[in-house]
Amino acid sequence: MQPYNLTQSYQSQLAGYCRTGQWNHIPGVHTGHVQQYRRLVYNVIDDMLRNAFPVMSELVTKQEWDEVVQFFFSSHSCHSPQVWYMPKEFYQFVLNSQHALLQQYPCLAALMQYEWMEVELFMMEDRTVPHTTLGDVVFSKLVLNPEHTLMALPYPVHQKKATAITKADKGNYFIAGYRNTNGDVLFTDLSPALVRMIEYLSVTPLSVKQLIEQLESEFQLILTETDKQAVIQFFETAYMQQLIIGFADN
Amino acid sequence: MVGIGYRKDFAADFAESNTLHPAFIEVAPENWIGVGGYWKKQFQKALEKYPLFTHGLSLSIGSPDPLDFVFLKQVKKFLQQTNAVLYSEHLSYAKCDNAHLYDLLPIPFTEAAVHHVAENIKQVQDFLERKIAIEIVSYYTPVAPELTEIDFINAILEEANCDLLLDVNNVYVNSFNHQYDAKTFIAQLPMQRVKYIHMAGHEKVADDLIIDTHGEAIIDPVYDLFAFTIQQLQRDVPVLLERDFNIPELHELQYELNKLNQIKQQALQPAIYATL
Repeated sequence: MQPYNLTQSYQSQLAGYCRTGQWNHIPGVHTGHVQQYRRLVYNVIDDMLRNAFPVMSELVTKQEWDEVVQFFFSSHSCHSPQVWYMPKEFYQFVLNSQHALLQQYPCLAALMQYEWMEVELFMMEDRTVPHTTLGDVVFSKLVLNPEHTLMALPYPVHQKKATAITKADKGNYFIAGYRNTNGDVLFTDLSPALVRMIEYLSVTPLSVKQLIEQLESEFQLILTETDKQAVIQFFETAYMQQLIIGFADN
Repeated sequence: MVGIGYRKDFAADFAESNTLHPAFIEVAPENWIGVGGYWKKQFQKALEKYPLFTHGLSLSIGSPDPLDFVFLKQVKKFLQQTNAVLYSEHLSYAKCDNAHLYDLLPIPFTEAAVHHVAENIKQVQDFLERKIAIEIVSYYTPVAPELTEIDFINAILEEANCDLLLDVNNVYVNSFNHQYDAKTFIAQLPMQRVKYIHMAGHEKVADDLIIDTHGEAIIDPVYDLFAFTIQQLQRDVPVLLERDFNIPELHELQYELNKLNQIKQQALQPAIYATL
């Protein structure tokens, strides 16, 4: 009877071959057919990553894509039992390994962050907060869509084609990503002041008047009437697009 | 009863029309755990109409790695929340050296593996507080075997005291790839343990190799083997049509469901003996 550690070792060798392509002899294996496992396993990884990062996979060359995917799969141990979540590990791997593609494509880190955030927002568990639709954007306390995330991007990957982005585009781009009731993911550009107001709303519902007062107090500034009208207009649009989902009861 | 593997590719059409009307649906829990938004709404609509069977992909019950009880806890919760009729998994491994591979690798047919896998199945059954059904997977090469495939499977079923998910297409694929008689193989399985049957299509990629793709229609020899299986069983068992790729029009899937139902009913009709 074969000791279990030998069985384990053969299993490890087969799994290692699927990940790296490095073959070590295993008794009884059909060497022609075993290649199918590497092909099938790699296709699953490649398909999932292409689906999660469609713009990135078009931005880099085919050779660069194949190399980074292979490098990831052979050197990173995928921890999530849920395959749809695996692309997040790929994104983190590219960042943590300081992959050469990040130098070659300066907007790549921002692009991957943006593309993964779209997947995560689309798939994430439902979140609910108490709110009513009876209210007024100007006077009622606004309730923020809990299915949202704020992002600060160094490149405008949400505005321009990735191939057209250069180092000259480097800056501070703030956006809110959120999921509407149809399940669609939307993105809205934000100024730094609006980012701060959204952060206030993520803590507790506040009226536009309270948001403005809190901002003025924190940064020791006075908003002009034009600025205040722009804030009201922003939140009216945000309500229509469901970044703001409604109003607090009280 | 004949069900269908519920796939996102046809979820919207499925919800909006009555073209496809299975007796139940099946999903992989890991594809739905923690999922909200659009897909959750679609899934909930389907759950309101159909009983749910589940078929796991990532538990990796044959892995040398320890079982992932954090994940198993999520599976248990999912089974409870969805009122799942049955939970099944593959007799294979998908994780090794702490890394998921997201596909099904063949376990070496060894006595040591029998004991290890049976112990894993027992632990899973204890944790989930239900029997699970284990599926015979298709495989493209044996790995360091010291037992025959049938002896390996039967030993695990006996030692773990679990149910069997009999994938008839997998038996056909394996019998072709490893050159044995599929009917003889099925006749040697403990039929009383069969709680669930899978049927699917496959693709012949070489003169000596078939891949279990779930991307084609079921072929006639697999239908024949299905009829033989039902005759061996002599009882009704839930049957699932799996179609994961190259999804055809829904009426074509319904045609396959109808055909499976028809074959099953015919195979279960009592034999008529002439009396003198």
